[in-house]
Amino acid sequence: MSSFDLDGRRIPIEPGDTLAAAAFRSGVRTFTRSIKSHRRRGLYCLTGDCANCLVTVDGVPGERACVTPAHDGMRIRRETGWPSVERDVLSVTDHLHWAMPVGFYYKVFARPRWLWPLAERVIRRATGTGRLPVRGAPAGRARARSARCDVLVIGGGVAGLAAAATAAAARSRVIVVDEGEPGHALPPGGARTIAASLEAEARAAGAEMLTHHTAIGIYEGASVPLVGPDGLVEVEAGRVIVATGALEAHGVFPGNDLPGVWLSRGAVRLATEHGIAPCARAIVLDDGTGDGAAEALRGVGVDVIEVRGTIVSANGGRRLTGVTVDTPEGRRSFACDGLVLSLGLSPRDTLVRMAADDPVTVAGDAATPGCSIEDAVEDGRRAGRGEPVVAREPDPWPGLGSGGFVCPCEDVGVDELEAAWREGWTNSEIVKRYTTATMGPCQGALCSRHLAAFAAAKGAPSAAGGRTTARPPVRAPRLADLVGGVHEVIDRRTALHGRHVAAGARMDRSGVWLRPGTYGDVAAEIRAVRERVGIMDVSTLGRFEVRGPDARALLDEVLTLDVGRVAPGRTRYLLALDEAGYVMDDGLLAALEDGGYLLTTTSGGADRMETWLRDRVDRRGYRAHVLPRTGELGAINVAGPHARELLGALSDDDLSRDAIPYPGHATITVAGVPCRAVSVGFVGELSFELHHPRSRSGDLWDALLEAGRAWDVLPHGLDALDVLRLEKGHIFLGQDTLPDDHPGKLGLGWAVAMDKPAFVGRASLERMVALPLERRLVGLRFDGSPQRGAPLAVDGRIVGRVTSCTVSAALEEGIGLGWIRAVDGAFPPVLASGDLRATVGPTPFYDPEGVRLRA
Amino acid sequence: MPELRRTDLRVVTCLASADALDRLVAPGHGARALRLAPDESAFVTAPETAPEVRREVADRVAALEDDAVVRDVGDGWAAWRLTGADARDALAWVSALPPPPPGAWIQGDVARVGAKVLGEDDGLTILVPAYWDDHLRTRLIADAGAIEVTP
Amino acid sequence: MSLLVPCPTCGERSYTEFTFGGELRPPDAPDPEAEFERVYLRGNVAGVQTERWFHALGCRRWTTVRRDTVANRIEGGV
Repeated sequence: MSSFDLDGRRIPIEPGDTLAAAAFRSGVRTFTRSIKSHRRRGLYCLTGDCANCLVTVDGVPGERACVTPAHDGMRIRRETGWPSVERDVLSVTDHLHWAMPVGFYYKVFARPRWLWPLAERVIRRATGTGRLPVRGAPAGRARARSARCDVLVIGGGVAGLAAAATAAAARSRVIVVDEGEPGHALPPGGARTIAASLEAEARAAGAEMLTHHTAIGIYEGASVPLVGPDGLVEVEAGRVIVATGALEAHGVFPGNDLPGVWLSRGAVRLATEHGIAPCARAIVLDDGTGDGAAEALRGVGVDVIEVRGTIVSANGGRRLTGVTVDTPEGRRSFACDGLVLSLGLSPRDTLVRMAADDPVTVAGDAATPGCSIEDAVEDGRRAGRGEPVVAREPDPWPGLGSGGFVCPCEDVGVDELEAAWREGWTNSEIVKRYTTATMGPCQGALCSRHLAAFAAAKGAPSAAGGRTTARPPVRAPRLADLVGGVHEVIDRRTALHGRHVAAGARMDRSGVWLRPGTYGDVAAEIRAVRERVGIMDVSTLGRFEVRGPDARALLDEVLTLDVGRVAPGRTRYLLALDEAGYVMDDGLLAALEDGGYLLTTTSGGADRMETWLRDRVDRRGYRAHVLPRTGELGAINVAGPHARELLGALSDDDLSRDAIPYPGHATITVAGVPCRAVSVGFVGELSFELHHPRSRSGDLWDALLEAGRAWDVLPHGLDALDVLRLEKGHIFLGQDTLPDDHPGKLGLGWAVAMDKPAFVGRASLERMVALPLERRLVGLRFDGSPQRGAPLAVDGRIVGRVTSCTVSAALEEGIGLGWIRAVDGAFPPVLASGDLRATVGPTPFYDPEGVRLRA
Repeated sequence: MPELRRTDLRVVTCLASADALDRLVAPGHGARALRLAPDESAFVTAPETAPEVRREVADRVAALEDDAVVRDVGDGWAAWRLTGADARDALAWVSALPPPPPGAWIQGDVARVGAKVLGEDDGLTILVPAYWDDHLRTRLIADAGAIEVTP
Repeated sequence: MSLLVPCPTCGERSYTEFTFGGELRPPDAPDPEAEFERVYLRGNVAGVQTERWFHALGCRRWTTVRRDTVANRIEGGV
């Protein structure tokens, strides 16, 4: 016989068993301990709505035992309570109510503050419904797939299946989703027969059945995420039919959470579906609807006493031993081990309440709780045809008793709600936040209407006394399922990625790219560039070619330089401003021989530059073509005193300053690879940026390393670049700049052609440069080893910050960039940076005349 | 399980006015014509025929317009071929786009990056910017359950 | 999740394929006063607004649409 393991105990399984049914048959009565008071909790709803039976199944916490089919060999753990759910020493907290008032955490742990971290550890151990995986264990990631349909039907009961059959017959693409198998939630008998024939009808008409999938929310669209055995399914539906049925009202009275207190459908399900007697002697509270609970229970041998009246209390310690009821004949007490509640039905409406304006139709029990099978079929047919379905007002909600748990998930009782109200939290949303009622695993399925009724009874205006906002998830998904739908980190890789990794580079995430930080020895990489020759993969630079009769007009509008003054074969530093005159991006503009332009941008700025250029083309109707070349062109920067010799070893082309002027460019062939060589000055040495077809990057890189051996060439990464450019006083946009830096604040006024009549940001810039400069970026020299991010102060007053710094080996001193504010209308020439003295000085620090890069 | 294969394709792009592209006669050599935007068409072709396709497109568009741009930008694209009976269904694990029938194509979000998906007789061809080559391959294997086949 | 944006080239797509470009504003202004308004002020209407979307994962072109900011629904292209 098949069986599963429950906390080390073997539990036999019979056909059709859920975990809960099998465990109950074997005598298990306590399934969980409550979150704060550590009270015993037993089976209650058996419909997957309450949180009483959450267990850990094969290491996955928070599974509902009552709807999880039992399989041979499963390992089930009840993880609430310490040391075990049956012997929980923390149940002492149930007797400490006086010490744990509502808002306990806020009140008790407010002071001293140092106590909270310690208390938190204890509290975390004492509460919760499962264990997180141990630190360092790999996190799971489920897959996520997309699905589309015209009609999504949530709930495979009578109404849902009727809707699916009708919609599918009308040639709509239909998906039916159910937490179990279609019809599983119906009582055995006639309803299931009707459901089976409707299911056959729906399938024959082409409806797709997603069984064992759970809809966890309805988002704008309508877009409905489903959690299923294969992961997440993101359904885009033309319209949604919610046929999730109804839920029995949760009774609130002292002792309402004792094991042995049942919602009627739960007790009946155990009896009729699994043939198990939920108790020996049951008090069946009859509300007059005659749902057949007494009959069903008698069928499995339960001694049933039917009682009319209002429950005063359920009595007992570890489990129910008796009930006190106010009957029409007076107050009476009964000895019993079962109390079966039929207090009315409420639509299972959480999904509907979060749907807002989305195209959602509600049908069947979810629209009219307790409707007949015939009405459910009719509702479903109407919904399937796209016709409106009339919903009936739900039953009046049973009032609150003198005590007991309103929100069993969070152990919030009637007295806590009263206390919160007295303390001034007089609105259902605020009471929710203060007491955490409705915020447990069942997400208010049991208590949200109680909370609204409580606030309304207190006389709160309807908005403040209404239902609290419904939000996803309706059911608890696994974290792995949520991760499956998340936008994963997406890295761009250059064609040389594999070579960098093979060379032992530390790959850093730099914006949207993965780039080498260093190949191991930053100082050696810097020395190679300064003394010999170094190479760097700069394929991440944004590149755009702009062509057409209006190319110059387009660029003159988007860039601050005077494009007409860049002669073919020449390059210029470019700045692009936003509308407010702040620096958006920088790069180089190369005027090509045939009238086109090649634009380079920062690695992170390429996407924005493209939107910027295309916006202007679109808005102005420029006759200009923008051809993005970032992905198509690799780029390698060859820099150092021997850069020209290295290229010369691999090229027959003229590499002199006449052929490739500074700043300028030319097309050459290096190691058989066609390149556009751009003379650049970022690192302050003689440099050639070789833009070439991406498919040839590997050949070019290998050839440069091979031929470069004669000069001990080294590849370098971002760490070395950061120092090399800083020695030249060049800024890194984003690192050295703030979002509201205009060119003047960065000392880049020279790059703006204010004599041009118009360019983006010009009017704003004009306004700003007329004002006195209140902040600027400056070069700094330190009498020690500076700290990036350190404050810069004058007379103890912080007036700036170090944005980049290093101890330069070439200059043998601490250098940096930082912004400072004007003090009394003037910029201080000397500042304190911690214990160091920072002196404002001119940049570049290294080779200020630029002799080396013009070599 | 769909099979995943790297495939070597070239992409010839043609930038011209919408009017010129409307009138442009597509090249031969089995090139697939994709109208990417009103002012941009791309022609996907085998490497052997790429020079011919580029020449044909350049000649034809030049007859219609002076300042059109025609380039082989194939280096900027990575192409993967997904084949097998379940190849089309597998797309749903990485994209909300409907898989295009043979001969049709669609551009949009595949594995959260901009892709062109081409319907083929035996499955799909997916093109993404070359810097997302590895990303697409990883997602097709991890999420779409594809088995990589290397020749 | 799924606000649908109509792209004239690619058809209706989830907004997640697009980059939002904000309210449609004129590219120029006739005088400094209007220029100040153009650059720094926004209508921020609760109702139908004309705005720009860039189809980043599709055709990589801009489109202009009218969106009801209250219902968060696109009324149509412009």
